[in-house]
Amino acid sequence: MTERKGKKKRFQAQNQKSAYLFIMPSMIILSIFVFIPLIASFVISMTDMNIFMKDVQFVGLKNFTRLFTDGRVGNATFNSLYFTLLEVPLQIGLALFLTVCLAKNNRYSKLLRSVYYLPFVCSMTAIGIVWSMLLDPNMGLVAYWLKQTGIETIAFLKDPELAMPTVIVVTAWKGFGYTLTLLAAAVLNISQSLYEAAEMDGAGSFHKFIHITIPGIWPTISFCIVTSTISAMQMFDQAYVMTQGGPLNKTETVVQYIYDRGFQTAPYDLGYASAISVYLFVIVAVMTFVLRKFILSRGEDADE
Amino acid sequence: MNKRKKVKLSAVAGCIITTLIAVTVLIPILWLFVSSFKTDVGVIKFPPRFFPEEWTLHQYLYVGDSIPIFEMIRNTVIFAGGVTVISLLFDSMAGYAFARMRFIGSKLLFSIILLTMMVPFQIIMTPLYIEVYKFHLLDTYLGLILPRATSAFGIYMMSSFFTGLPKSLEESGRIDGMSEFRIFRSIMLPLCKPALVSLGIFHFMNNWNDLLYPLMLTSSQNKRTLSAGLAVLVGNKVIKYGPTLAATMISLTPLLVLYIFCQKYFIEGVATAGMKE
Repeated sequence: MTERKGKKKRFQAQNQKSAYLFIMPSMIILSIFVFIPLIASFVISMTDMNIFMKDVQFVGLKNFTRLFTDGRVGNATFNSLYFTLLEVPLQIGLALFLTVCLAKNNRYSKLLRSVYYLPFVCSMTAIGIVWSMLLDPNMGLVAYWLKQTGIETIAFLKDPELAMPTVIVVTAWKGFGYTLTLLAAAVLNISQSLYEAAEMDGAGSFHKFIHITIPGIWPTISFCIVTSTISAMQMFDQAYVMTQGGPLNKTETVVQYIYDRGFQTAPYDLGYASAISVYLFVIVAVMTFVLRKFILSRGEDADE
Repeated sequence: MNKRKKVKLSAVAGCIITTLIAVTVLIPILWLFVSSFKTDVGVIKFPPRFFPEEWTLHQYLYVGDSIPIFEMIRNTVIFAGGVTVISLLFDSMAGYAFARMRFIGSKLLFSIILLTMMVPFQIIMTPLYIEVYKFHLLDTYLGLILPRATSAFGIYMMSSFFTGLPKSLEESGRIDGMSEFRIFRSIMLPLCKPALVSLGIFHFMNNWNDLLYPLMLTSSQNKRTLSAGLAVLVGNKVIKYGPTLAATMISLTPLLVLYIFCQKYFIEGVATAGMKE
């Protein structure tokens, strides 16, 4: 009896050891490249470190006071918020509209859903290059077509007022297929009997959409809202490829300004770049928290 | 009768709108494809034409003259491929341990890993750069691959897959006296091929397309990936339209081909990502 117990114990100890061996590579990598940088970010934001990393001094909250008086931080924050507040509703609204048309399992719907997903597979670099060429006011195809229909030449990406809306539309164009895929999967999961019961009660298609479809896919919609908001606030690729932050810094986002301060413009102020990262982190965390709270309460209302 | 007519009308309208949107999605991609076969003159011709007047392979044959396309392809394949293979191994190992083995601290460690899924890249960007610099790994393949050699999302996805497998599976292996690693490799891993393919495509696509990360960790032109290298070249406005079109098409082709043949797995990876809330 005792021998058996000892065997079992030994086996468990052995099992424990191999479990730790299984998770070791991942834990080491995550510690070095995620946990430590996460903490270090807050520390570096309170130093005057630059890319040469010599004579680093602790400067307390100086970088943060500088940040609040830096006009370009204010401008970049405005641009990121502007982008997020228009892009997220556009992308999710379009996807939701198309979900209503295409949440069926017939061939046509399946084919179109996979067509819509295509731009999501492509890199933002490639999409940005293609759209910049198509929208070029001098030789772009879109500008030419518009001219043919009598509309004056529009310099989409070079006009300070139009550049950001153009970037927003291109981003939504690239991403709505992804949102649609998630939403369609959720709609197809809703039990058909709910619709049948509603039809029995004489409900129209609009009524069914509001009272069955929306509540049924609400968790997925809220997931899409939260994740798209987080990624929109971190927008970088689109502006880097299509406008380089211009014209007149009208499309410079917070992440772009971080990259510019830390890695593009001398004196490569890593301390200051980190401080802006921390600032953005706090904004995104607060937005996520507020959205979650708002969306969760909406979801409960919808259930009733 | 009237109602039926109304339904039919809205179905037709829906059909037209969805088809129109599909056309808007396809036109830019199709334009890129056909334009990469235009001549130098054809590319900048005014008024612009959608299809080439004269089809030529010139842009593909001479793309290497103005863009270091071969180095870029090599770098992207090594980076995206390396990350995918190594990350699949480490993700599934860790996911397996969290799902099927009991050890002290497993719950705590797993919740810490779930938390890191929410850490945005820009907050760790600067310290990560400093670390890679201090390890003397800037501008090397190892420096590009190592920080991405595992991912919290991958561990989470694999662990939820392993949790769903029947309990008795490992027992037969243990009775046969197999080592834990053999059980993992010969019994468990073959069972999760679909999950591995989905996660592999997810990693491959993200790293193939990534811009900011490879841009920051490489400084020389000959270590740049396709998406980072092209973005820099186009930003500097140093290359002509023709080669840019060909290089852009080349950078898209592997993923487009993969998408056409493994569509199911692209969408499954996304669907699992959607379930993580």
